[in-house]
Amino acid sequence: MEKKNSLQNVWKFKLSAATVTLIPAAVGINYVAKAFAEGLKLPLWLGSLGTFLASMLAGPIAGAISGFINNIIYGLTLSPISTVYALTSIGIGIAVGILHARGWFASAKKVLPAAIIIALVSAIISTPLNVIFWGGQTGIAWGDALFASMIAKHVSIWIASFVDEFVLDLLDKVVVAYLAFLIYKQMPKRMIYFFKGNEN
Amino acid sequence: MASRQIALKNLSVQYLGFEDWVLKEITVFAPVGAKIGLVGPSKGGRSTLLNLFAGIIPKIIPAKIKGKVTLGDNDYRDLAPELRKTTGVVLQDSASQLSGLADSVYDELAFALVNRGLDPLTIQDRVAAVASQFDLEDYLEQAPTALSGGQMQRLAIASALALNPQFLLLDDPTSQMDPVGRQHFFSWLKQQKDQTVFIASGEVDDLAEVCDQIWVLEAGRLAASGTPQAVFNQLKDDPLVAKPTSLELAKRLKIKRPDGSYPVTASELKEAAGK
Amino acid sequence: MIGQAAIDQSKWYAKVDPISKLLLIAGFTLASFVISQPLLELPLLAATALLIMFSRKTKGLWAMTAFSLFLIMTMLLIQGLFWPGNHTLALKAGILLFYQEGLTHALLLGCRILVIIFSTCFFIETTTISENAKYLEAAGLSYKQVYVLMSVCYILPEMKQNLQKIQLAQRARGIVPAKSVWSRVEMIVPVLVPLIIKTFQMAINRSISLQLRGYDSPERRKPELKQEYWLGHKTHLALSLICLFLIGGKAWLLVK
Repeated sequence: MEKKNSLQNVWKFKLSAATVTLIPAAVGINYVAKAFAEGLKLPLWLGSLGTFLASMLAGPIAGAISGFINNIIYGLTLSPISTVYALTSIGIGIAVGILHARGWFASAKKVLPAAIIIALVSAIISTPLNVIFWGGQTGIAWGDALFASMIAKHVSIWIASFVDEFVLDLLDKVVVAYLAFLIYKQMPKRMIYFFKGNEN
Repeated sequence: MASRQIALKNLSVQYLGFEDWVLKEITVFAPVGAKIGLVGPSKGGRSTLLNLFAGIIPKIIPAKIKGKVTLGDNDYRDLAPELRKTTGVVLQDSASQLSGLADSVYDELAFALVNRGLDPLTIQDRVAAVASQFDLEDYLEQAPTALSGGQMQRLAIASALALNPQFLLLDDPTSQMDPVGRQHFFSWLKQQKDQTVFIASGEVDDLAEVCDQIWVLEAGRLAASGTPQAVFNQLKDDPLVAKPTSLELAKRLKIKRPDGSYPVTASELKEAAGK
Repeated sequence: MIGQAAIDQSKWYAKVDPISKLLLIAGFTLASFVISQPLLELPLLAATALLIMFSRKTKGLWAMTAFSLFLIMTMLLIQGLFWPGNHTLALKAGILLFYQEGLTHALLLGCRILVIIFSTCFFIETTTISENAKYLEAAGLSYKQVYVLMSVCYILPEMKQNLQKIQLAQRARGIVPAKSVWSRVEMIVPVLVPLIIKTFQMAINRSISLQLRGYDSPERRKPELKQEYWLGHKTHLALSLICLFLIGGKAWLLVK
């Protein structure tokens, strides 16, 4: 009997042997993608690629946990302020998981609107964090320049910060979404089956 | 006990989601306590068979299984959880077999023992014993990731042996070792008496020396089974199967044994040439 | 817990258990948020700085603070010039007018960030991965949970090694840095994709191996902690209560 891919199945999560190794692998991939972006001096973060893939392979909760652990561990090993942005990573994981379950990552055309939604989710969660910790800035040069020019014209802090964050998120998440889409298509079927959690 | 055997009857395996049957109608048996070498071209089904014995299929990697696998009088699947506790497995990629949370080689060797709940003194003894068997004593304090490919394979084998398993499943365990390491491994394997060993390997010379039976798997089917002598002679003209150097030499030099077959090991060759 | 360099077990900071150190981070952070004037942040800043000084573990501190310090400078600049609540002139530099409200606010945020960084740095420099893993398991987490949290710490250096190997190979082949964003992204793809697939394959093998070796067996023996920690549970309780008190305090202040 085939399992129906209903939306309720999406939220089923078990800390199984498959997810226990998938999640650290996803964090490792986040790390490598970020390092690549920094090495090639791209105006992108790319550090959510692993979270995207974890969500696509094992559902939104797996993606959320990957994102959470990603930021907590970064925060406690490399860069302390990453910890608070765990909330953003969780949001991204859940958003990707839901969109993927609804088929938004099935064709190249649908990936773009999906990426926009994910960028929105990311920006909405990150903006309050940016305002509380950094007075609205994001730490990326040209984003902050945009932010500065907006508050100079007396635009509200919240709107200026949101625009700063959203513009950066849009660029980043579109690239990451397409990369994730490409990679998922190239993954061997047995790999996708393994992480899907088909409990026999 | 002496008459216990492992039997496969019309065994077929198909991975879930795939159309091809990876193993097709395999019927063969072997006595418990024997060493069985699995040879054949890659993707022939050797790893799948080992995965089946290990319990990886169908529980961990979903697959459809037709036919029967029995150990003595019992269906293999009824015994599986108990059997797993006394089965040591070494998979192909040794680096990815490591636990991933071990600080040192010692911790890695002790992993399965700790999981079994053994007391620290027993663990210490077993780790020391298995480390000395595989020349890992000098590396006990090192991080597992700092080892070379060959050392890591020894670590994987030693870890599997830490529990004194009755069944040993080895998938290409010497692929990254140098000739010395390989020789050391196979002479160790030859000395093992009480274990049932299934070993998939391309080292046909060593398998011919060490194994009681050879099973040849080609494209999922059992092409031949029997003693190394019988099997390699039967397939002496099959281009898909590697043959022991001794047999190749004997063919070229036209040296045959008294019964008309070609020798398959160095000692058999020497004996036949001496006549 | 960046590296695995052993921590001297006899030192005072080694006798503070990992969870207490984490609670310290939480406590200091919450305290810095309850405070709303930069001047009052200074004692917190001093306290966290002293923690690090007394442990003499300042190696990673600069790496962690450098980028944030730069960011704090830009905050002072941007907020000093354009903060909405600005109306008291503080200083004038040519045509640039810096206002007191903005500068004060930026300073406040800056102090909070440094408090977080300093207290986290204390944790990072005085614990090791294996100590944290053992402590968490002894504290009651299942091995599965500890594995998910801590194995990442081992994977990151492994991936860094893989990455460096690839980058070395790329440099040897003489890859010319392209101009546009898209072409640079295209360059990553043929390297990134196989690396990712390999990473997932390793995860699968590791998962199989863990199961075969009984990683979730109920018989698993919890690790013995060799270190004697100060008080342990009492410090956890005390610090947790302090954190709750601070949260309550901040909520009350906000409501006022």
